[in-house]
Amino acid sequence: MPVRRRHLLAGATALAAVPHAWAQAKPRVTFISQWSSGSDGAAITGLGKRLEEEGGIWQHSPVPGFTTEMMNKLRADIIAGNPPAASQLKGPEIAVWSKIAPTVNLDPLVAAAGYEKLIPSELIGLHKPQGHWIALPMQVYRTTTLFMSRPAMKKVGADKAPKTWAEFNELATAMKAAGITPVANGGIRWDDGMKLEIALSGINCEAYRAALMKLDPKALKSAEMLEAFAQLRKFANWMDPAIAAQHYSVNLAKFLKGEMGMLMMGGWAQGVIKNLGGNLDDVLITSVPQNEGKPVFVLNADSMIFWQRKEADLTAGQQLLAKLMMQKDVQEKYSQTTGSIPVRTDVDLSGPAWSDGQREASAVLNEAFKSKRVLLSLAHNMAQTNPITAAMIDVLTEYVHNDKVTPEQGVARLAAAVDTARG
Amino acid sequence: MRRRLADFLPLLVIWLPLLINVAHVVGFTAWTTWLSFTSSDLLPEYDWAGLRSYNAVLRSENTVVAYINLVLYGVGFVGLTTLAGFVLAVLIDQRIRAENLLRTIYLYPLAVSFVVTGTAWSWLFNPAQGIQKFVRSLGWADFRFDWIIDRDLAIWTIVIAAVWHGTGFAMALFLAGLRSIDPDLHKAAQIDGAGPARYYLRIAAPTIWPVAISVLVILLQFAIKTFDLVRAMTGGGPGIATTLPAVVVYDFMFQRAQLGRGSAAAVLLLLSLVAVLLPYYLYAHWRARRERAAHG
Repeated sequence: MPVRRRHLLAGATALAAVPHAWAQAKPRVTFISQWSSGSDGAAITGLGKRLEEEGGIWQHSPVPGFTTEMMNKLRADIIAGNPPAASQLKGPEIAVWSKIAPTVNLDPLVAAAGYEKLIPSELIGLHKPQGHWIALPMQVYRTTTLFMSRPAMKKVGADKAPKTWAEFNELATAMKAAGITPVANGGIRWDDGMKLEIALSGINCEAYRAALMKLDPKALKSAEMLEAFAQLRKFANWMDPAIAAQHYSVNLAKFLKGEMGMLMMGGWAQGVIKNLGGNLDDVLITSVPQNEGKPVFVLNADSMIFWQRKEADLTAGQQLLAKLMMQKDVQEKYSQTTGSIPVRTDVDLSGPAWSDGQREASAVLNEAFKSKRVLLSLAHNMAQTNPITAAMIDVLTEYVHNDKVTPEQGVARLAAAVDTARG
Repeated sequence: MRRRLADFLPLLVIWLPLLINVAHVVGFTAWTTWLSFTSSDLLPEYDWAGLRSYNAVLRSENTVVAYINLVLYGVGFVGLTTLAGFVLAVLIDQRIRAENLLRTIYLYPLAVSFVVTGTAWSWLFNPAQGIQKFVRSLGWADFRFDWIIDRDLAIWTIVIAAVWHGTGFAMALFLAGLRSIDPDLHKAAQIDGAGPARYYLRIAAPTIWPVAISVLVILLQFAIKTFDLVRAMTGGGPGIATTLPAVVVYDFMFQRAQLGRGSAAAVLLLLSLVAVLLPYYLYAHWRARRERAAHG
């Protein structure tokens, strides 16, 4: 079935391409993403400018709002046989979507850049789903970053970040006793879902890989999983209960003042704090606790997939864009704009354009890359396809907000949800 | 020639929109129903998967919570809105001054979209920003009104916002009904010594009963379709405590891109609408027949 549709689509694309085929025009890229404003918008605009400097034409049609709205537009374009030259798409969805329309084989370009040796192998798998490179990552974030409010630490006499969950729990208890809300959190689904991946990655790296990335039924019911749910219950009891369906940034002011103690969030929160006019000196940025005592990096990456087009200007544009995206200087510029870290592990972040938070995350990524302790984020759609992720997050958000569910029940419900979503 | 056009035009005016409507409503309903029996995922597929999507949808915790919520919300919203609408209509019926102004004020919420209603009420209900904080700032330090973060009570915050939104509408219909009662009936009741309470409960209410049925049915189908209010107010949370069937449809269809399951959830929603409207249709049919029989 998919094969037939694929041929149909390819045929439609070829037909649409005929009038343009003779044109010897400048390399051109048509692109769809949700990045229309803020630092994401600025970064992608910067990439477009770079493409234009190299003699290309950049045609970006942003679909602002949720990622799903962008995906609905992309789906409509694909069904109409007119996909963009490239579009935003991330994680396992790259593999899913590559089955509904033909994509561009980027293997020669990737090989020429020697790129595979430079980036974590978890990312390689996601971007060459059927053995060929069809997509490229643009930037990397760590989802397991611990932001600590220095004023709050001062109030309880803490001078360093907790290294294990036991230390974390001790500190949180002390903060609670001092009238501080220990966990600064948001009330949105993915925020709740993230908290489990944070707990589990800090308990055991391989248990995370087996349970959340491979969905191994035994690992989903393992002792580590139970421990992670118990830790999640502790987080839930330390959260600000008043935050209903609101973004975590609502609490940042209180966090900076020291009324809230610790924020477990992706590295992007650093940019958000800065944009709010917060002083990063009030914040200690580090990794969340790790019981194994070895660095682990839970990764979230934004990527771009390249859709097959027959027009000469578009194919030339795709080649040019792909080449640029793998370059060091382009990645540096991009990450400096958004506050992320580059995909390449050979970028030097010692310059003044980088922040301490970025340097720390990059150092951890490098170590985790060498020791094979890079994990993919569940809550940010890196570990599983959207339907499975959504079913798992349903369970997690329900667990966070319903303290009548025991950790044992939480583990069982998560495993059951995975079964249902796959079935 | 002109004659033939004149004959033809009414047919065209009636049939063309009708056909377009039928094609839209029936066509897409049929398509959705068809998809619900296929294995469609990211794109529509036209194979046969039987009841697989229905099984998956019915087994999901979200669906169960959504339909329990629909019953709570449906009963709460329809009951309270009807009651409040009737009471307001009776009060306004007292030939009071500034009737037009009051009527406009009560009707005004209806002019506000559900998204705005939901957003505004989510601030009012939020314990850190809204009513609770306000009352505490007045000096009542342990005042608690945190239903929106209490998963057992959160659905009632949706009910309250929806009642606020819909009461004016119910009032307008009831008021029209009250005004359509023969004034002689009112006078006759007064001469017979019936007080206002007796008049409204024993005479007016039974007379405008058909209006009440219409109000109930219209509100009930509103309730079943509710989507944007929840989305703006609680996002379905805390957890999935305030999710409703329409939210589940959207979730499967567009968040998870599972067209088959989304379609199955949509068909279930349609069936629950039919379950409400069919009795009403039968009742109307029965009434019409009885009236014909009485006159015949």
